[in-house]
Amino acid sequence: MPTYAAPLRDMRFVLNELAGTDRLRALPGCEEIGPDLVDPVLEEAAKFCSEVLLPLNRSGDEEGCTLENGVVRTPRGFPEAYRAFREAGWTSLGADPDYGGQGLPKSVGMLVEEMICSANLSFGMYPGLSHGATMAISKHGTPEQKALYLPKLTSGEWSGTMCLTEPHCGTDLGLIRTKAVPAGDGSHRITGNKIFISAGEHDLADNIVHLVLAKLPDAPPGTRGISLFVVPKFLPSEDGRPGPRNAVTCTGLEHKMGIKASATCAMAFDEAKGWLVGRPHKGLSAMFTMMNEARLGVGVQGLGIAEIAYQNAVAYARDRIQGRGLQGTQAPDRPADPILVHPDVRRMLLTMRAMTEGCRALSALAALEHDVSVRHPDAAVRQQADDFVQLMTPIIKAVFTDTGWDAAMLGMQVWGGHGYIRDNGMEQFARDARITQIYEGTNGIQALDLVGRKLGAHGGRYLRSFFHPVLAFIEAQQDAPAMEEFILPLAKAFGRLQQVTGEVAQRGLRDPFEAGAAATDYLRLFGLTAMAYAWARMAALALEQDDAFYKAKLATARFFMQRILPETSSLAAKVLAGGESLREFEDAAF
Amino acid sequence: MSLTTGAPMVETELRAASVPAAQAKPAASPIRKVGVIGAGVMGAGIAAQVANAGVPVVLLDIVPGGAAKATERMLKTDPAPFMQKAAARLVTPGDIEGGLPLLADCDWIVEAIVERPDAKRDLYAKLEAVRKPGSVVSSNTSTIPLSALTQGLGEVFAADFLITHFFNPPRYMRLLEVVQGPATRAEALAAITDFGDRVLGKTVIPCKDRPGFIANRIGGMWMQSAINRAFDLGLTVEEADAVMGRPMGVPKTGVFGLLDLVGIDLMPHVAASMKATLPETDAYVLGLRDNALITRMIAEGRTGRKGKGGFYTREKGAGGESLKRALDLTTGDYRASDKPQLESLALRDLRALAEHPDRGGRYARAVLLDTLAYAAALVPEIADSVADVDAAMRLGYNWKYGPFELIDRVGAAWLARALAEDGRPVPPLLAQVAEGSFYRVQDGALEYFGTDGGYHAVPRPAGVLLLADIKRRAKPLARNGSASLWDLGDGVACLEFHSKMNALDPGTVEMIGKAIAMGRKGGFKALVIHNEGEQFSVGANIGLALFAANIAAWGEIEGLIEQGQKAMRSLRDAPFPVVGAPSGMALGGGCEILLHCDAVQAHAESYIGLVEVGVGLIPGWGGCTTMLRRWAENPRAPKGPMPPVAKAFEMISTAQVAKSAFEAKEMLLLRPTDGITFNRDRLLADAKARALSLVEGYAPPEVKPLRLPGASGRAALAMAVQQQAALGRATPHDVVVCDHLAETLTGGRKDHTEETTEAELHALERRSFMALLKTPATLARVEHMLETGRPLRN
Repeated sequence: MPTYAAPLRDMRFVLNELAGTDRLRALPGCEEIGPDLVDPVLEEAAKFCSEVLLPLNRSGDEEGCTLENGVVRTPRGFPEAYRAFREAGWTSLGADPDYGGQGLPKSVGMLVEEMICSANLSFGMYPGLSHGATMAISKHGTPEQKALYLPKLTSGEWSGTMCLTEPHCGTDLGLIRTKAVPAGDGSHRITGNKIFISAGEHDLADNIVHLVLAKLPDAPPGTRGISLFVVPKFLPSEDGRPGPRNAVTCTGLEHKMGIKASATCAMAFDEAKGWLVGRPHKGLSAMFTMMNEARLGVGVQGLGIAEIAYQNAVAYARDRIQGRGLQGTQAPDRPADPILVHPDVRRMLLTMRAMTEGCRALSALAALEHDVSVRHPDAAVRQQADDFVQLMTPIIKAVFTDTGWDAAMLGMQVWGGHGYIRDNGMEQFARDARITQIYEGTNGIQALDLVGRKLGAHGGRYLRSFFHPVLAFIEAQQDAPAMEEFILPLAKAFGRLQQVTGEVAQRGLRDPFEAGAAATDYLRLFGLTAMAYAWARMAALALEQDDAFYKAKLATARFFMQRILPETSSLAAKVLAGGESLREFEDAAF
Repeated sequence: MSLTTGAPMVETELRAASVPAAQAKPAASPIRKVGVIGAGVMGAGIAAQVANAGVPVVLLDIVPGGAAKATERMLKTDPAPFMQKAAARLVTPGDIEGGLPLLADCDWIVEAIVERPDAKRDLYAKLEAVRKPGSVVSSNTSTIPLSALTQGLGEVFAADFLITHFFNPPRYMRLLEVVQGPATRAEALAAITDFGDRVLGKTVIPCKDRPGFIANRIGGMWMQSAINRAFDLGLTVEEADAVMGRPMGVPKTGVFGLLDLVGIDLMPHVAASMKATLPETDAYVLGLRDNALITRMIAEGRTGRKGKGGFYTREKGAGGESLKRALDLTTGDYRASDKPQLESLALRDLRALAEHPDRGGRYARAVLLDTLAYAAALVPEIADSVADVDAAMRLGYNWKYGPFELIDRVGAAWLARALAEDGRPVPPLLAQVAEGSFYRVQDGALEYFGTDGGYHAVPRPAGVLLLADIKRRAKPLARNGSASLWDLGDGVACLEFHSKMNALDPGTVEMIGKAIAMGRKGGFKALVIHNEGEQFSVGANIGLALFAANIAAWGEIEGLIEQGQKAMRSLRDAPFPVVGAPSGMALGGGCEILLHCDAVQAHAESYIGLVEVGVGLIPGWGGCTTMLRRWAENPRAPKGPMPPVAKAFEMISTAQVAKSAFEAKEMLLLRPTDGITFNRDRLLADAKARALSLVEGYAPPEVKPLRLPGASGRAALAMAVQQQAALGRATPHDVVVCDHLAETLTGGRKDHTEETTEAELHALERRSFMALLKTPATLARVEHMLETGRPLRN
């Protein structure tokens, strides 16, 4: 059975030292953020994840959810765990104090999210979806809608969903068919079918608040004709308690590769009562305002899986003895050396570690900018921070979830044949991780978002939030001899990224096909360079310290610079080769 | 801000400046003085354009003092009818009552009074008593047949009379429709045609004496069809205007936006006059109908931009922001304006659009059929040549394509079939062209389909040289994505920009280098820089610069500045003459190119300026350096190191743009010796002649170092800027930009005791440019300009 110990030391490092809490404390509502406040939160979360959520991960995977007469049951132990989870206040951690939330910044919340995702990704889906619904209502809802739904969602008594996908459309939401007809009393009647609805129906909460995309009768065609509605499972009565059942039912559960304890529902709306959220026909842009956060959240899922896969791969590599080290016998008192000594096993473990810690560092930097972008009093500062978040969101989503999958693969590989055995739990990480590369916009869509929307926006202004600080860092550090081994590779990758960015932008402007052909490789090139920046910054911090944690940091930074970052060279070559070979291939020949 | 040093602005010799120096002068026009009667918008505008050309003009009005008031008013009108304020001095205002003797020495008298035949004839009768023998009289009427105007006025008058129909505003619209009567003297027609063409810069199109002549006849039909069909097919105004706009090549106001612009109440007047003069069977008359909504709008004073809104209007939103609203054609109420979402609008091919089944496609088809069939049926009734009809619609209505060019785009056979499908008659000319087209290129020459069934070369008057014609005939000497090099013949090459808005980018700089290298090798003996785009060049591609700045590609940007400076120097120092021939905007880098030419032959409608401070930068391609030298070498400017600096600083720091080639001379952006051409079609030929005239004995100009005031001068300018800032006239970032500009213009660390070389000044330009580009405030300005087209005042 896999084990998990939250990487609290590294989490404190990225929060307190790398991102630094100074900027955080300057934000309204964050004045008290510091180890005294944060450490106990992280420790409690770690405990809850290890003791309550992790033990349900395997069993939840085996049992899955069941549907009977429209009622969905989550696996054994889930309802109790969810009650404990919300009673401990984990659903309200980052929520608005006006509605009963604790108002902690994303910088802290993201670390807790990572732990939940490591321990039990399926379980994390339920509060995760509620968070999305909360954001939608708090940003676009009427005061009445906020007063009705937000306190219940915050306390976790009610949960939420996002109903976007329909059988014939996922990525291209302009094609949706669900209809919303005004009922004349200010409400609407929603009719249509939705699929792939996570947490669409379950037995964890008293009520389920569906956020549904539908088309009004006078809707213009395409994505400009989509409106957002709130459709509760039980219609709230005057006193805000769940009342009569609404005409929304779960008609099926998907049988999936992974996250089996998460109920993925087909939902039928049959003249269900709903209320417009935000302006008519502006539903998609309303959804987009919370898309960044949702995508960052999925990125963290990848990070969570990568962390637990790494921990269990290391444990196995220490434990499992097989053959002798190529550098000579390492454990003469045992019949064989632990496989940890083998260079290829070390390569796998260090790859997992360097990518995982690199992702965590980037997530801390992004979370800080996110907090600045929503809390800072100065609009110009907010915008600058938001530029960074806008830019990094597709990169984080795609690179982190790829990292989750890669780490799960490597973890299985370290375990050899035993990694393939279900009881050992390693293959579950791979199955659970796989969806994160697909949902909330496939990683291919993330890459298109980066080259199509983020690169050219405002003459490339989002890019400034990355390129200018990185260049300033390189210039500030380039004369420090001890930093040379980190700055040189960073500067090289940075120069490559500059050149490739200019090329992609220019070619893409002339021919969108070229941008599309470059997108995925370009995104990874960007992600690895961003990670190199994070690693160089961590190395600079570690050089000033002298305990085992910092020594390991430096050693991991070296591995990243020497054995991972060079991938940017081949990525650049692939991007610069252009899309000709993709374009010219005959469709019929596939 | 104003930092005058007391130097008198250079007075330009009006007359001399308009004629290119040192070239074979065509015979001077016999028209040396003009009279205009009626000081309304058209009459006053015509008088202003005559004055712009340096020809004295008498302007008379029926209202006592009206002509003087109109002249006065025109000095404040925007866009300005006068090309420079001094031109107003050539206008002699007077009253019709008692002022007619002022017309005694006029060679041409234009009547632009009220559209009433009796009033006009009365006036003509009085003119017969004062005007000199052989003078020409013309009417600017747009509705009255020529025959009705000459009635009862005798043979002499009829021989001297014709119709000259200008378009509003007369300075800017390039079409002049001319109608001769059966008795009109050939010399009278020739003199006016020549004067209209060469002196006033108009394209003169001969028309038959038919109602509405060419442009308003076809334009009227188009508007009627575009309105009626939009109502019939249930399009929104945005949809209708979008279909008319880009796909058909009509200005983006479309039809409803155009009505708002010209005044919706004009419609019934046009309709009434056309109905009165056209036969009942005319398609226009048959299509006339009462539109209840439009009638109501006019009654309520909702006549467009001049009234209480029109088909579009603007309202204050909740946050005080201006919201665009559009009229719902079915309810007559306003609603939020929305971008049209028609599938057909995504189509680039006009025929594909017209065949698309959605309402946008059906609308396009219907309006095309109405308009194009009407036009095809009107040749030869209103004009002898389809090329003339097309030119009239391009120049009079600013269509990108004339009706016959549009027919070629959809296919003449397709149009004929579509008409037949709808059970409508196929005009004979259309049937005659059958499967062919109205235009073809034969041996590199453009030909049009004549009423005789044969093709004829599209005529180009002597002295007209079009790059488009050259491009049809030949392959470029060199070409990249941004610029090309063409052979104009006689050993003259032409450097053409063709990037978007002719923005300058690395490709342009590369092509300048290529041109110079080719010339140095003896490939040609003179170079003209010219293009036939709307704008000569809007300056450096700041989108590219902004992107490069955002990814911190500083080395690349500085490299481009340096290469640009090198290219500018190479234009000037080349061993052959280089002549710039701009029309439209020549801003920033586009202006700097002209500043480094040996001579400029400018279209009168050239708008030149160094506008870099608008985006938080300073001119970096030698613009600062050259302006310093221009003022230092100006014999009329006060001596000493400071005056040139103050003059250059004043102009550059306020991003002044010359609103005509004449203003550019006042600002020293053009030299006194630079030529001005009024007719755009004649610009290239004039420039080529100018270039050839410089070849013999050509030596590149000597570049002398300057003596600049240094730190003390910079401090003086800084103080002036601070004063402006204290008065709220300069923003915080203006102060920063001005300081960098001041540092550059005063020579940096140098002072007046030593010489500052061009290389040192260019290095200063680069340094200031790069320093400014690294400031967030400059980047914000560039971004704002790119996204809104307006400067950001931060």
